[in-house]
Amino acid sequence: MERVGGSGDSAEESGDVAETRAGASGTEGDIPRNWILQHHKYRELMALDVGDTAQVYAAFLVYLDLLEKRRWLEVTSRGSAELQLVYLEGRESESQPRQLIVPLPGQRSLSHQGVRSLLSQPGPDGAPSPSLLLAAVAPDSTLAYYRFSRGFVVPEPPDSIQALECGRERRKRRRL
Amino acid sequence: MELETEADGKLEAEVQTETIMALEREVKTQTEGESVERDPESDTRTGEVKRERETEPVLVCVSGSTPLLWRSADLRLVRERMGIVGTLVGSLARQPRQNCRLGRPLQLLLEEARLLKDTGRAVLVKGAESECDDDRVNVEVEESYTKHLQHSYEEQGRLALEEKKRVLQRVMTERFRDEALTDQPIRERLSSLKSSFSFPRSAMMVQLCTARARLGYAPDERDWLAADWTLPRDNKQEVRYRVYQDLRQQGYYITSAGKFGGDYLIYPGDPLRFHAHFIAVCVPIKSESPISDFLCLARLGANVKKTILLCSPSETESEGVIYTSIQWSGMV
Repeated sequence: MERVGGSGDSAEESGDVAETRAGASGTEGDIPRNWILQHHKYRELMALDVGDTAQVYAAFLVYLDLLEKRRWLEVTSRGSAELQLVYLEGRESESQPRQLIVPLPGQRSLSHQGVRSLLSQPGPDGAPSPSLLLAAVAPDSTLAYYRFSRGFVVPEPPDSIQALECGRERRKRRRL
Repeated sequence: MELETEADGKLEAEVQTETIMALEREVKTQTEGESVERDPESDTRTGEVKRERETEPVLVCVSGSTPLLWRSADLRLVRERMGIVGTLVGSLARQPRQNCRLGRPLQLLLEEARLLKDTGRAVLVKGAESECDDDRVNVEVEESYTKHLQHSYEEQGRLALEEKKRVLQRVMTERFRDEALTDQPIRERLSSLKSSFSFPRSAMMVQLCTARARLGYAPDERDWLAADWTLPRDNKQEVRYRVYQDLRQQGYYITSAGKFGGDYLIYPGDPLRFHAHFIAVCVPIKSESPISDFLCLARLGANVKKTILLCSPSETESEGVIYTSIQWSGMV
């Protein structure tokens, strides 16, 4: 989970916010208090004119988190008129495919049908993607990500079986 | 040298385990199909009896609102043919003071009992407890049992006495043969045996019956006793039942998931052979819950290495049940 602070570092990709120095003599720095509202990306998301302020704000926080903290690549935003929300697409690294990220305020309620309608949105490649990442934003800006997928996704085997397999590998190696 | 022999031993063990697994798989495929016709050595008569028993409906005793299965043949049939697992809740006759290993009866989920009834494989009957409401019957049964115990005690005492006499006589004759010792003390013991012998009550053997003769009914009696499904059906139970039916049809084994805060635990095969893969949570498709609830479920699933499965029967009959997997993404 990640906390996004009010005034922080900026990175190359998020644009034109000037850097602040904590030890700067006397001055507060060049960052105004409502820097989020003036952020170009935030303004861009608002201009999409879908979703309420809370959802757009959540989308912005997730955008910053993915780009700044996790260094995801090619993070873009899109608006969905029928679902009335802003969502993001991006890839974790070069080797990973692009995926859908849906930011939502944590207090929202969701039904199974709602989840399914999110999943039926066209993904990065045009067709509905088999899974999406839901980013829940708590009132204190804490972020939690879960993956929703269609159908049955088999989990990893439990520790005891993994240990057994590791042990077998180790024994084989020792034998050779 | 040592390493090699150790390696051989371990190789052997692995080969052995593989052979055993292969045999088990064979056995499993055999019992899963219609096994009666495929066994050529069995007597035709026992084959017929087996077929009869398999087509005959199983007796489910509903005690209060809990469906129970009592007969071991029924438990086996239901598990092998229908994949119904249930939970053992009784105590074992020879190991009563522990609850690590429990015995019959098998408690069924409401959904399991309902599925058995709907497919015609079982008949629901009011449980045997209703017979115990009548105190008069109890007293008679008790009296006959104490009389039987007393008779058994006397019989055992008599046999013990005979045995003791025989032993003493044998000792006497042996002594007489081997040495010229006096057997006077033994003679005295023998003569006073009848008066001095006591058979303590605690030494008596008591038979504990592990099979009960009257666990079934004649077909017409059973049909007359068959109860209608009296439990109320609400929306939640309907949702659960539809999900249960669908999952069972797909071949998954299902048990209760009370420990994990979900509705069912889903296994890819018999629970004795596999760990559960999913925790099924049955919700109506349109009911809303806060996103923090999904967080709880996802975290729980991540902790126990199972995927949370959201299951909702769809409103259109054609689609069956809709499943969505939730996993915690692990992004920290």
